[in-house]
Formats: sequence, structure tokens, C-alpha cells
Amino acid sequence: MAEFEPKIVAFVCNWCTYAGADLTGTSRIKYASNVRIIRFPCTGRIDYMLLIKAFDEGADGIIVSGCHPNDCHYTSGNFHARRRWIMFRDLCNLMGIDMQRIKFSWVSAAEGAKWAEVVNSTVTDIRALGPYEEYRRILNHHSKEVTNG
Amino acid sequence: MSKIGVFVCHCGENISATVDCEKVAQVAGGYDGVVHSIDYKYMCSDPGQSLIKAAIAEKGLTGVVVASCSPRMHEPTFRKACAEAGLNPFMCEMANLREHCSWVHEKGEATTEKAIDLVRTLVEKVKKNNSLDSIKVPVTKTALVIGGGIAGIQASLDIANTGHKVILVEKEASIGGHMSQLSETFPTLDCSQCILTPRMVEVAQHPNITLYTYAELESLEGFIGNFKARIRRKSKSLDEKLCTGCGTCITKCPVKKIPSEFNEKLGNRTAIYVPFPQAVPNKPVIDREHCTYYIKGKCKVCEIVCPTKAIRFDQEDQIVEHEIGAIVLATGFSVKQPDFFPEYGYGKYPDVITGLQYERLASASGPTLGEIKRPSDGKIPEKIVFIACAGSRDPAKGIPYCSKICCMYTAKHAMLYQHKVHGGKSYVFYMDIRAGGKDYEEFVRRAIEEDGVNYIRGRVSKIYEKNGKLIVKGADTLLGAMPVEIEADMVVLASAGVANEGSETLAQKLHVSYDAYHFFAEAHPKLKPVETNTAGIFLAGACQAPKDIPESVAMASGAAVKVAALFSQDELTREPLIAAVNRQPAPVYSICVGCGLCISTCPYQAIGWEEIKTRNGELIKKIAKVNPGLCQGCGTCVAFCRTKAIDIQGYTHDQVYSEVMALLNEY
Amino acid sequence: MDELKNKVRELLGSGTVKVFIGYTTGTAGTKRALFAEKPEDAEGLVFDSSCIQNLAVYVTKQEVKEKGMMGISATLPVMRSLVQLARENQVSDSGIKVIGITPESRLIDFGNLSEVEKYIHQFQLEIDQKNRDMLEKLDKMTVSERWQFWLKELEPCFKCYACRAACPMCYCHRCTVEYNQPQWIPVPSHASGNLQWHIMRAVHLVGRCIDCDACANACPLAIPFNLLNKRMIEDARKHFGGYQPVLSGDHLMSTFKPDDKENFIR
Repeated sequence: MAEFEPKIVAFVCNWCTYAGADLTGTSRIKYASNVRIIRFPCTGRIDYMLLIKAFDEGADGIIVSGCHPNDCHYTSGNFHARRRWIMFRDLCNLMGIDMQRIKFSWVSAAEGAKWAEVVNSTVTDIRALGPYEEYRRILNHHSKEVTNG
Repeated sequence: MSKIGVFVCHCGENISATVDCEKVAQVAGGYDGVVHSIDYKYMCSDPGQSLIKAAIAEKGLTGVVVASCSPRMHEPTFRKACAEAGLNPFMCEMANLREHCSWVHEKGEATTEKAIDLVRTLVEKVKKNNSLDSIKVPVTKTALVIGGGIAGIQASLDIANTGHKVILVEKEASIGGHMSQLSETFPTLDCSQCILTPRMVEVAQHPNITLYTYAELESLEGFIGNFKARIRRKSKSLDEKLCTGCGTCITKCPVKKIPSEFNEKLGNRTAIYVPFPQAVPNKPVIDREHCTYYIKGKCKVCEIVCPTKAIRFDQEDQIVEHEIGAIVLATGFSVKQPDFFPEYGYGKYPDVITGLQYERLASASGPTLGEIKRPSDGKIPEKIVFIACAGSRDPAKGIPYCSKICCMYTAKHAMLYQHKVHGGKSYVFYMDIRAGGKDYEEFVRRAIEEDGVNYIRGRVSKIYEKNGKLIVKGADTLLGAMPVEIEADMVVLASAGVANEGSETLAQKLHVSYDAYHFFAEAHPKLKPVETNTAGIFLAGACQAPKDIPESVAMASGAAVKVAALFSQDELTREPLIAAVNRQPAPVYSICVGCGLCISTCPYQAIGWEEIKTRNGELIKKIAKVNPGLCQGCGTCVAFCRTKAIDIQGYTHDQVYSEVMALLNEY
Repeated sequence: MDELKNKVRELLGSGTVKVFIGYTTGTAGTKRALFAEKPEDAEGLVFDSSCIQNLAVYVTKQEVKEKGMMGISATLPVMRSLVQLARENQVSDSGIKVIGITPESRLIDFGNLSEVEKYIHQFQLEIDQKNRDMLEKLDKMTVSERWQFWLKELEPCFKCYACRAACPMCYCHRCTVEYNQPQWIPVPSHASGNLQWHIMRAVHLVGRCIDCDACANACPLAIPFNLLNKRMIEDARKHFGGYQPVLSGDHLMSTFKPDDKENFIR
């Protein structure tokens, strides 16, 4: 049986983390290929429902990443995002959604190496947690089988 | 009905080495709505772009996905190509198969699968794209240059000479920066002030330049072409219009023992002072922290002796506002005090000094009038040791990077010493010699071969005092790490060049990125060295990274031409990726319920109110409205709105939902 | 309450108020809302401890508003809702007259909403002990156990949206659940559809919910989803110092402090 390869979606901001991931590329630093990035102008644009939707569509893990506090290209988008995440995380935790599967980080445009680290550690952690079986079991609208391979 | 074209780029081998581009194009071709899907070696080249244009024309494409490098690289290129072929440029999206995929993963099925997923995501996104027209905004043709060193001066003159107005803001009492502190400059040994002061005077006299010294940027609002800067002109306690620069106040000031910052604490100044005799403007300022009047309420000698009654003790800081179109950041660098190396004894022994302090000693207008004298007893050193890399290239205690200019100025310092002190012996402890510029290598060889400077390859482990001499213990690695001990009279440490204190605060005010060392970040290290990621703000000089004078001047001129290019247009086109509140026909008018909670989420105060009224002027409904001139497109309000009444072009609710769905289905 | 009935008769009789919203007895002794438009209608007014619906839900309804100036008998939760609604521009002094009913059943004739605001600020917005204990019990479970708990609790939910209908803060003309292009919240009442609906509602109420329990009381299946809202109120206190409905000023989620603390962001 093939090793479980987690499906991870990354919601990142254009000015810092996306650019940081570009720098990882320019620097040719290798990292795990499980993560797919979706670009947003700012972490402030990231809707909480999108995170739930990601799990709903079969993601095993999520990364949400943006600019460091005080460095937001739009001044305060990441501050608003941070406040939302603080509340949302507690809500999801109360509901029994596995918060170990959502990783938040600040990765700046100059932190190419950090992005690779965030991705690699997330993939390792999610691989250890396994596929998000509990959530997959309640998905009725797909004919995907819940297997490990 | 969507007709999407997918163009997968090999990027030479950059993408095709690890991603099976043919397969990606083939799979994409099978997607619903994709009518054209090819792969090609170089999509950004002329023939590559022609392929896109031809496909748009022949197949009537309604959307284009170019799967190649990062959109931060070539999105404008491909959008322009689409526009030329008659397709709205905002119907073109890019899938990042290079920086985010081929360059960071090994060759294999997983990498190709990822590339396929990324393409599919963007195909679904582009199906929901809207045709958009760029927004035109007027450009204020006034530049703000922050920092009056050589880079700031050069940039100001270049911009002013193109016919545009410049506001130059300098935080010290005079412009000139570090270059005005130098004695002679490498590789020509030109007198620094002699080549600098004519430029300084030109700045002061230029009709297009408004000079604010003893001033700092208080705040900045707005965006490219339309900034509003508030500048704090700190109080000089002087009416500049009346002051003639006669200097009587300075000669009569009783507080004479303040360590002079300009002389790097090797000399003193008065409480009312000009930083140096050739200061521009040549008008004094009162240092309120040391002036007797401000501390005790007594004295006022300067006011008494001033022939034009120019002193104003109760003068307050003044805030001036200016409308600005572009900004050049030229705030320079600082020297890292080497006191974190207790082994070198800096701060403990007065004769262990930094390179910049040596410049002041060597300078004809310095505290020793150009003679190299020991700070402790004023004697001329017969043996002098220069230590290179005192703080640089040191990940353990100092800074890991190379400060670039020290090898050259150390050679220069040693040469000046040999020229001034005949019969003196100079030693340079070095790790490497970095002399890469034009005539630089020859300059260093001259120091070694003609002026007899002794270069020892090795580091110094300790300096201590014994019988009035400084014992320098080092090693000569070219002689097999043979220990070397020199009884020196003076030691000069080539200290590290670091970012100014408070530069991250300035960067945050301007929304400019900075790196881990707080140097301002350029937009691209190779291809955009003078631009930042913030549109309309440019960089010049050492505030971006340590550099020498020719490089600072070149960069300043580069920044100036970017500003001039910006000002060459009357109108700027802004990307229309901004937010808008939903509007519908009567009787709904809008999904917005007017709760107004979004208003405080906007960092630009771009959200206001719109009153919807009947023909008789009766209010039907009050809803939110986004000012398209102010919205910068962050989308914070969009994610916040409970009823999704506000949406942002380029990242609409529909688009991001489609992206998540597309990514995870068939992933 | 005679005092209340007299007051209402007076307000309606003088034309100060065109419709007065209060409680009355309905079928089988349950309490429901009364919309008194003529002075005689005031006879039907009642008030006792079983009057727990949040009457503020009616002040945003077009059918009520178009009658003209509204009046309302307001217990503490209703007062809080009114202030929050005023903050969100859904009601104002020119549209409503508030007759407060204190926890001791004393009447307060408020002159304007500012007075209501001042009154409600005497009381902290806090969760009661019973619910705090329940939340603590949930906290002690593992993540998996909580997941199973909620799946079981939400299983009977059949998306009647009574919770939404009863909540005064759910006044949006078009609820996110009504979008089908794209379908943000799955319509069917299966596990994931129920989960997403309740999460979304809890999220939209962060900083706005005043803990009136109208939602849970309206639920025909007595599902305790109001625990989610109560946790959010607790959290707001824990992380940001709590909140109160205010007529103007910062809203918990549309403002921030530069030093908001978190320990989960790398």
C-alpha cells in the first residue's frame, strides 16, 4: 500500500507569502509537493467558509499564511485576519474539527527558506495524523472512497 | 459559454525538466470549456506570445491561462499580449508552474500531478473572470526624496533637472550624509567634501527643489501618483529667513563640550551649532537637550549676540503637508559600534577607533585638522593597525553579510596614514580583499606595493594595553597560522555597515518591505534594484544594502529616471482589482443592509455611505459605497461582509470558491 | 401588568406610537408577540417569566416598520439587541420608543436609545454557570469526542432555520445560505450541511450575539447550538476583553489591536 500523501491547500497572500514562495523557487530550495497554493490579495480576504469548504472537498490539511504583523502591504489586513482566526479556531475546536490540520504562519517575501520549512513540517504533521477520515465520512456529495491510497 | 485557451510553457528546461508539460497541456485540453491547449518552449517570447494571439483570433477565446512562471514575473506581459489580440487583459490568468512547482520539486508523477491541479484551478477561476477596464488616476508631479546624503542629493538633482518639483527631507541639520564626513574617497583619493559641497549648494539653490532639513516624515497616506505626505519640521529655534549664517552665536555659546556626532564623538560642539562648516543650509540649530535655556531657563547669549535677532526659543515643530506623486528612499546606513567585541577593547581604550572616526581624524576640517593623532594623548601613532571585518561576515556575534566598502576604505586609510606619517608602519589584518570595482584592485595594490602597507591575512584575537601601547595579537595564516603580535599606537576597526535605527518604523509608515537586517527590500534583486514592492516608492543608496559612492550615485540616478517615467504620464492606469458594493434594480437596490460594520475594516477609509432616494428626495435606503479612487484591493471588507454584499474584482466570491472546488476535485 | 397596559394605551391613543410590540398569550398558554395598533389592543398585553422571545426581531421587519413609529416592551436581552441593531443602522430613535422592563419587573420609560445603552452597560455580558459548566465538559473531551458529540446533536436538525428567524441579528435580506451561485452552505440537512450552517451562523454572530437564547428556544428539536455562540462570547472576553452593544464605536471583529495575542501562528 502506497504511503499516504496528504492533500494540502495553502491560502496565501500575494505580497508576502506568495512572493516568499516565489523566492523559495528562485533559490531552488526543494520541499514536499503536497501543497497547492491559492492566491489572495491579502490574508484579510480569506473567508472562513473557504477553510471549511476545503475540508468539505477532501483536503487533509490547510495552510493559511500572510505578512508579519506591521508588514501588511495593505497596512492592517493581516491584523483583521488574525483576530478572525483567533475566534474561528476556537469555534472549530469546540465543534471537534481537528485544528492540528490547519496551520497558520507569517512568511514574508524574503523568507523563502521559511516557506519550505512551513510546507515540509505541515506535510510531516498531516502525514502523521493521517487522512481526515472523520470529516470524509460525513461527505455525502462525492463518490470518493475513503481509503488510504 | 467559456472558451478557454491553456498555454503550458516549458520555460526552456526550467519547467519541462521536472514537469511533463505535454501531459499537462493534454489533460487541460480535456476540461469542460477548454477549447485550445498547447505546450511551447518559451511562451513569453515573441513567437510564444504570437501563439496566444493567434489562438484568441482563430478560436474566439474568452479566457486564457498561461501555465508558466510566477504571475509576479510575467502577468503584465501576457495580459498585454491578450489586449493586443482583442481579449480583455483581465481575462488572462497565470498558473505558477515554475517557482511554485518545477523549481521546488523533484521530477516525477507527483510534480506533474501538481502542475495539472494548478492549471485546473486557474481554468476554473478564469471562467468566472469579468472584463475590466483599468482605472485612470491623475499623477501629482512632485517627488519626495527622504534622506539628504549623496544618493538623496543625486536623485533630487536628477529629478529636478527633468523639470519636476522635488521635496528633499533630511533629518539632520544639514544635508551631506556620511559622505560629508569622509576625508578622501577611493579609488581616486578625491577630497570628499570638495566633490560633495558643490552638489549640496546646487540642491539648495535649485528652483525645483524644496529643502527641509532637521525634518522627518511624520506620516504618509495614499498611493502611487497620489500620496499625501506630512512632514515634521523640527524646531531649530531659529527664524531661518532672518539668520545670515554669520556664526556669532556659535562662537559665543557657553556650552562647548557636547561630543560632536559629526566628528563621531572625537571632538566637541556647542549647543547651538552647525554640524560642519560647509553645512547646507549654513544655519545653526539649537540642541534643546543640552542648551542651558531649555534645561534651566537661563543664558540666552545667542539671542543677545545675534545681529538679526533670528533666535526663537519658543518656536515649535511645524507639520507641513504635501501632495506627492513618487517617493525616493535614500536614508543611508549606520556604522555598527564594535563594542560587542570586548576582545578588541573598543570603548575601553580610546585609541581603538572605528573607520568612520578615522575619517574624521584624516579630514582636513576634522577635530585634528587632518593629522592622524591618538585620541588619548594627541601623539602621532608610529605604528597603526587596521582590522578588517570587525563585525561583518560574522554570523556568531556580528552581522553575517559583507559590508562591501571596508576593504577599500581600509586600504585608503592605510595609504593616507603612510602619506601623512612618513616613516610610520601600518598593518592590515584581513580575511579577504574585496576590490571589485573599476580601478579598485589597482588601488589596493598601490597601497601594498607603493605605500608599503603590510597586509597580514589573519584575524586578531585580542587587543590589550601594556605600557601605553596597544598589543594586537593575531595570526598570519599565509605563514601557517604563525602568531603575530604588534605593539601598536592606534587600532582602526573596519566596522560593519548596518541599517539605520528606526528604519523598520519608516518602512512601516510607507508600507515598504524590509529584510531581516532592516535594509529596505528591492522588488527584484536582479531586475528591479531601485523599485520596491510598493508602487511609487523607489530606493537609492545604502538604505537598500551597503554600497560605495559610485554605486549610490548610479542607483540614485536610476531611481530618478523611474520617477521621471512615472511623471511623464498625465494619468496613471491603476489595476481595477478593487471592491464594489452590490447594486441591483429597484426595489432591492442592493443586498447591502447598511450595517456599516465594514467601514472600520478598511485601512484606507475607502468605504463610505450612499443614500438611495426616491425621485422626491425621500430616503429609501442607506448602503455602503466603496470609493474607487481610494480602494487598494485588499479584500478585508469582502471577507467580513456577512451577506456578501461587497465583492472584489480579481478575487470574487465566485472565483475563489471555484478555485477551491477545482483544486480539490480530482486532486 | 396594568402599568404597562396604561402606558401603551396612552402611547397608541396619543399617536406617539403607531404599533406597539409586546407579549401576549397564544395557543395553549404559550407566549407570543402582540402588535397593538389601537389602544384597546393593549388589553392583550402580558408579562411574566415565560416571556422569553426576543421581540427585537420584529423591529427590522418591513411589515412592522411600515406601520410607522414603533414601540416595544423590552427586557434586558431585548434592550441589548435594540442597541446592537441601532449600532448597525437598523433602528433609530426616530423609529422606536422603548419601554424597559427590569429584572425586577419595574418599568422604565426610556427617552431615547442612549438611555437604553446606559442602562444595559450596568450589566456584564456573561454566560451563566450552567452553560459554562457544559462548555467546560466539552473542553475536557478529546477532539474526536467533541466531533461525535456535535454530529449526534446536529443529526436531527432539518434546516428549518427557526433559529435564524428568531434571532434579531439575523436581518440580512439575503442570507448567505440563500446563495446558490456558488452554493456556499449545502442545503440538505445532512451532517456536513448542518455543520456548515451552524458554524457559519456562529461566525456571523461573533461580537454581535447578546446571549438571549431565542435561537435555541425556537428550535423545535431543542438542539443546543447556542453553546457555540456562548463559547464565542467567552472567547471574546478571554482574548479581547469582552464586548457590549454600543450605539457607536468599535465592533469586536471589524477592529483589531496591533498586539492581539495568539500562540498558534508560526
